[in-house]
Amino acid sequence: MKARDFTIALAAAGVAMVLAQDAYPQWPGYHAWPYAAALALVAAVVLGGFRAASPGHAIALLGALIILAAGAGSGLLGPDTETVTSAPGTVAPLPDAGAAAFFPDVAAADIARGDARIIVRRRDGGSFELGPGERRYLAASELSLEPRLAAYIEAHDAGGRHLTITQPTNPAFLSPVVLFAQKVEVAGKLLPADSFATPAVQRQIKAFYFSRDDSEAARMHGMAGVASLLFAVDDDTGHLAPGGIGFVRSGSSAMLGGVRLGGTIGTYPALVVCAVPYGPALFIGGVFIAAGVGLAWAKSDRRHIVRKS
Amino acid sequence: MPRALRIIVVVIALAAVVFTFRYYFSQTGGSAGAALGGGPAFLAGAPAQSYPVTGLDGKTDSLQHYRGHVVLVNLWASWCAPCRSETPALEQLYEEQRSKGLVVLGIDQGESRSAAAAFASEMKLRYPILLDEGQAYGRAYAAIGLPTSIVVGRDGRIVRGIDGELSLAQMRDAVAPVLHDAQ
Repeated sequence: MKARDFTIALAAAGVAMVLAQDAYPQWPGYHAWPYAAALALVAAVVLGGFRAASPGHAIALLGALIILAAGAGSGLLGPDTETVTSAPGTVAPLPDAGAAAFFPDVAAADIARGDARIIVRRRDGGSFELGPGERRYLAASELSLEPRLAAYIEAHDAGGRHLTITQPTNPAFLSPVVLFAQKVEVAGKLLPADSFATPAVQRQIKAFYFSRDDSEAARMHGMAGVASLLFAVDDDTGHLAPGGIGFVRSGSSAMLGGVRLGGTIGTYPALVVCAVPYGPALFIGGVFIAAGVGLAWAKSDRRHIVRKS
Repeated sequence: MPRALRIIVVVIALAAVVFTFRYYFSQTGGSAGAALGGGPAFLAGAPAQSYPVTGLDGKTDSLQHYRGHVVLVNLWASWCAPCRSETPALEQLYEEQRSKGLVVLGIDQGESRSAAAAFASEMKLRYPILLDEGQAYGRAYAAIGLPTSIVVGRDGRIVRGIDGELSLAQMRDAVAPVLHDAQ
């Protein structure tokens, strides 16, 4: 292989790496030094190949350099992939994307369906909605949704009166939606767990999520093969209230420790923010490559015609 | 390729590379979600969210219904001792300032009508009470405890968010600038 062909092949491989970074930006390796070193190596070879390149090839190699710079910039300076979880009805700033994410308020049925859409408002005032399975580019970030386990909790007192749910350890103090941010070992299994309170009846409640498989493995009476919540109800002294522990399947309720507790299990989206190569740089690089390849092709075609005649 | 054109192409390419790196340096900032849990004090200037809920009379009502007034939104619950303690001052403020265009809007968080109605009757409340069983207002106004008070201007924007129990003097101070501006 000629030195010029080797340079072109390596430049094409480098461009392909950056385009892969644009298409699948969640891989953490893009933010590690081997990736940046590989792009730098390719860039060094491309720079060294300019002397032997024809004008068309030189323009294309410049385009490749711009794209490599966009890839290295995103990898070295772009933020690591971040998953933003927030309670329904709250706003999370996204400084790296120059925007804010509005997490929608939901009812129990929305949690069960898992189809909540997040609204993203840009600093310039524009906004767009993001739904499950959709991806959107914003500046040098790619935004997508990741469904996360959630449960909408309902609590009533012994007289059937609706009770306020509070989450003193959660930024959304007044949310009836628990997002299971912790994992706790129960019977040798790591289970998603969360906690909330019903201050009107002085109860602190821990909730553990049992998936269908977990229920099956635990051979729970009447709950095997059904997704359910295990509630443990403490009184105001921190001790387990009498009759304060039990399973509740999704959509139903049970009287536990003096509180009727119910939960609808489903999902609520978290926002995944990934750094991607800067779009305008990819575009300009692409234009250079197209122009360079076009020029090189036209020249070789002209040479071919001259040789024939 | 002519020399001048070659120089132009190289300059454009270098500018693109420099601009790309400059962009990333300018974008590197704090982490997402940093302002979560900041409480109601951080809401000043934002548009006030409104959700349709029911009033004590069973009719649909919302904050939006009071647009054009200065509204002191008070998030409360009957089990909350500081809420109970500040309620007489809220009632007094309402009686004092309603002629100037102030509405005190009590929004019960998560309780049934019977609990809220018993509280309103016991406290002889005349200001409107809304029942927010789903606690949507509590989340939207970033409540980090109860009571939480939000001053909403006539234009529907939040003027001030305050966490915790207020005295009558503090309530007057909170609404005075907005009522004064409106006159």
